[in-house]
Amino acid sequence: MQRRAVCAVEDLPPGTMKLVQAGKFGVGVYNIAGSLYAIANYCSHEGAPLCLGYTRGTTEYAPEMPDKIRHVREGQIARCPWHQWEFDITTGESLADPKKRVRTYEVDVADGQVYLTA
Amino acid sequence: MIIDANVQPHFRYNAEIRRYLSAPHKLRAIPDVELQWYQAPGGDYRADLYGDGYPGSDPETVAHHLFDEGGADYAILNPLSRGNIADYLLNSRICAGVNDWLLDRWLEPDTSNRFRGTIRINPEDVRGAVAEIERLAEHPKMVQVGVPLQSREPYGKPMFEPIWEAAAAHGLPVAVHVNGGNGVDHAPTFAGHAYTYPGYAAFMPLNSFVHLATLIIEGMFGRHPNLRFVFADGGYDILTPLMWRLDTFWMSMRDQTPWVDRFPSEYLPGHVRFCSSALDGPTDTSQAERWMDFTDKADLLMYGSSYPHWSTTEPETVVAGLNEGQREKVLWRNASDLFGISARVEGSLT
Repeated sequence: MQRRAVCAVEDLPPGTMKLVQAGKFGVGVYNIAGSLYAIANYCSHEGAPLCLGYTRGTTEYAPEMPDKIRHVREGQIARCPWHQWEFDITTGESLADPKKRVRTYEVDVADGQVYLTA
Repeated sequence: MIIDANVQPHFRYNAEIRRYLSAPHKLRAIPDVELQWYQAPGGDYRADLYGDGYPGSDPETVAHHLFDEGGADYAILNPLSRGNIADYLLNSRICAGVNDWLLDRWLEPDTSNRFRGTIRINPEDVRGAVAEIERLAEHPKMVQVGVPLQSREPYGKPMFEPIWEAAAAHGLPVAVHVNGGNGVDHAPTFAGHAYTYPGYAAFMPLNSFVHLATLIIEGMFGRHPNLRFVFADGGYDILTPLMWRLDTFWMSMRDQTPWVDRFPSEYLPGHVRFCSSALDGPTDTSQAERWMDFTDKADLLMYGSSYPHWSTTEPETVVAGLNEGQREKVLWRNASDLFGISARVEGSLT
């Protein structure tokens, strides 16, 4: 593990991700509504480049809605490009089965610079 | 104890049903039970049982075969209706006639208290089906609702929900069984029409899994915690790989059906049972015990003889190769839990 500079804070605005060359597969550093998170670019299912899939929200059951679906956690879910598994970027947990996780990493900001420990 | 969860009683002769129909319907065209293309060579029923009346039509003979010779303590009677007749109102009257006949000829005269019955309904007539459930649900010997396996829409569709809701409200499981007669049906396999009886019969139970998959995926079990389905034509042996597929798809496409809040296979213990069939299970019984443990199928399977069908199965054949715990669940424990039937006390009429 090593703490490394990623970029200036203003180069990682809310709703964006930077893929960092770290470890074997890379690490995605995300700004979700002003908070920073990092997950391995490696899906726990078959090893696909997880961070290259859609970053989006997910759904929850809403019986009162016409389509019975509410969109929630916008920008917080990484969707694997291969088999569509969903992971919560803030915790690394799979939404379907929390036992299937992806690795998360420490991110911090010092002097306007984003740092990743990976 | 042994509970036979799948027996088809029949009218003495096909036209006998007319005695149980009201005047406006008495003279309508009604298909015979064995009026369909995919009939077993030699007849659908055991050749030794065709006689004065239709096979399985005399309560005393049936009781003798099932209880005295077969060793069963109870039998769940699930008569056929006559197919998905295009006139859905007539079909509902046929179902009601079958129900009245079942009460009149089988359940009410049965002082030994060994027969239990099925409320036949026509799912294509949603209001009529709910009314029929409401009419008979409180009868102490009616223990399930019966619908055809043949359907022009999968049973998970919301159009059927009022029927399942009514059954669940009365604590009645819904039994899905291949129906007799000749209705307006889809081809019996997804790929079209089989041209021989084996081509039809071996894979016909696959249709059960379309009903099952849609019941789970469309959230029917999630919304109705008391709703239980019995797939009475067997097929439990192919349940495991099909549930693997459904679970795998759910991992990927979960967000499309957020009302499914657990793996699809997790709905099985609380909501789904199968009856045994002669075509089920590994042909090598040394594999039976192990295969039964996949998907915890010993908790889902109930012995059903299919009497008087040509493929009538003895209890010992169904549990061949199983361990003691599995045998007990299959022969009676699962059915006892599902239908609320407790061990029979000799001489008791209650």
